Amino acid sequence: MKFNDLFAGLVVLALSGLVAFASWNLPNPSEQPLGPSAFPLILAGLLALCAAILAVNGARATNAGPLVGLADWARSGTAVLRLLLVPAAVIFYMFCAEPLGFLIAATAILVVLFVVGGTKPLQAIGFALATALAIHSIFYLGLGVQLPWGPLEPFRW
Amino acid sequence: MLDAYVTALGMVLDPYVLFVITASAIYGLVVGCIPGLSATMATALLVPLTFFMPPVPAIAAIVTTSTMAIFSGDIPGCLLRIPGTPASAAYVDDSYKMTLQGKPELALGIGLWFSVLGGLFGTAVMMVASPAIADFALGFGSVEFFWIVMLGLGGAVFIGSSTPLKACISLLIGLMIAMIGMNNPAGQPRFTFDSTEMLGGVSLIPMMVGMFACSEVMRHMISDSSAPQVVVKKIGPIFANMWRLTKQYPWQLIRGSALGTVIGIQPGSGADMAAWMSYAMSKRFSKEPEKFGTGHPEGLIEAGASNNSSLAGAWIPALVFGIPGDSITAIAIGVLMMKNMAPGPTIFVNAPENVYALFLVFVIANLLMLPLGWAIIKIATRVLSVPRRVLMPIILVFAIVGSYAINNSLFDVGVMLAFGLLAFVLEENDFPVAPVILGVVLGPLLEEYFINSMIKSDGRLIGLVDRPIAAVLAAITIGIIGWTVIASMRAGKPDKETARS
Repeated sequence: MKFNDLFAGLVVLALSGLVAFASWNLPNPSEQPLGPSAFPLILAGLLALCAAILAVNGARATNAGPLVGLADWARSGTAVLRLLLVPAAVIFYMFCAEPLGFLIAATAILVVLFVVGGTKPLQAIGFALATALAIHSIFYLGLGVQLPWGPLEPFRW
Repeated sequence: MLDAYVTALGMVLDPYVLFVITASAIYGLVVGCIPGLSATMATALLVPLTFFMPPVPAIAAIVTTSTMAIFSGDIPGCLLRIPGTPASAAYVDDSYKMTLQGKPELALGIGLWFSVLGGLFGTAVMMVASPAIADFALGFGSVEFFWIVMLGLGGAVFIGSSTPLKACISLLIGLMIAMIGMNNPAGQPRFTFDSTEMLGGVSLIPMMVGMFACSEVMRHMISDSSAPQVVVKKIGPIFANMWRLTKQYPWQLIRGSALGTVIGIQPGSGADMAAWMSYAMSKRFSKEPEKFGTGHPEGLIEAGASNNSSLAGAWIPALVFGIPGDSITAIAIGVLMMKNMAPGPTIFVNAPENVYALFLVFVIANLLMLPLGWAIIKIATRVLSVPRRVLMPIILVFAIVGSYAINNSLFDVGVMLAFGLLAFVLEENDFPVAPVILGVVLGPLLEEYFINSMIKSDGRLIGLVDRPIAAVLAAITIGIIGWTVIASMRAGKPDKETARS
């Protein structure tokens, strides 16, 4: 996603407005001259100033391109899909780590990403298993982190 | 002081610490050597592991990894003309030309030998200067510290950046992220969206892992990932000509090390800027500037010494004031805070042995670089052919587990992803990411110093400048900001659209 400076400036301006709005009425229990809302309000003001300058510069620029454009890589559908695989893998882990356990979830993520990268499927499965076991050993055996076991619970070591 | 050094030596020579140093050295050398994996990323990925270590090995791991990775970034630059870390980009032309002329061992030898000398020089300056500055800073109050933090942030945004306006926005976003949670002078929950997970603020480790590792994996997915072809088959004796070059170019070595240290001390400008400036300086003062870029050793020596000495330099403001000089020291400060070793002048009074141990780790890491660096150069052609399409998925899983491991919390994995996406979008649009981290690390301090100063002066702004040292610091800060603003207005276009990659 490629934003033109005008658009980026307006988004940041909106953000500073939100922060200012959210900090306006923060309670000040100890009745200090500067309560918890003072500092965020100063920051929001500065951010709004920077954003306004950026937006004005963007509006004056002659070669700025469209408000929201696509970067060169985004014209290729496969590149976009490959990119989306990363958040998809993390979200998959967040939802499936508990039910599937670390070893299965991590192996699944690795197999998919290896294959997408061009590794042959069988090789990818073997390599993914080995990697998942290695990372599991570092954190579980080495550092004592309790990683979820899922259906492999009976085989816990 | 000598007693503390003896204690520190005992802490560092502990077998566990030595094991951590050696392991992180090998890790840093390998990661730095692989193009596309930066020294910052190597350090960020290591942070979850340091969470489980005592303070001294934790810091030793960070110091050793970053030192090694900055040197080994020279290797792919020399052999493939792809700098392994941005800090090696300045002299990649010269070193690659040497490879084409059949002398890769000369370029790599210079990279190794003069990195070690530069690193030791920077370490020596750090060992002498930081206790002295800390002593001076002991009398500082919240007003002085407020301006020191401001100076650090101002320097980072206005000196070290090619797009000051966008860097400023990045910094402010970072400062705002730091406002999340109850960690503020009034102890009020702010911007938590009524979520209990947010009460403690955004956890620093998942955030750093997301910004520096997850975002790199995303960038890899949209880039060409074919494994680079290494043409060099054999690398000759590495240290063969080093003594002769040291005698031939002593002045270049000293100038590079000194400039590198100074640039490192200046907040916001790190190893990459040190290398660029030293290379330019070397060319300017050289008797044979026309040879630069054609495989000439002079610039390599000066810039190679410079980027490693800047690493130690960056630790001086980090230790004494808690102000990071670059993103690696920002990560390191996060680790120090996690270990209840919040940096500041009092750290030299309260726990001097920990600081001295850190100094000694720097010395050991630089000395260890000679044998281990030699080894990595010998096997470099094989390390370079490890395909990134295999490494990146592993890094992603490591980033996920590392974020999870700190609190056994899947929420933190989400935080990692959110900041990975944020960093990716910011960089795509030429907003630098390092100021965000500086803002997050320094935000709580800045607010605390500001509010305390204002309370002391009954809310009058004059209280910020009515002490002499504070007034001087304020003048310098405002001078830097004003100078940049005026310079950019004169240039007609307030923001040069030249993205630094």
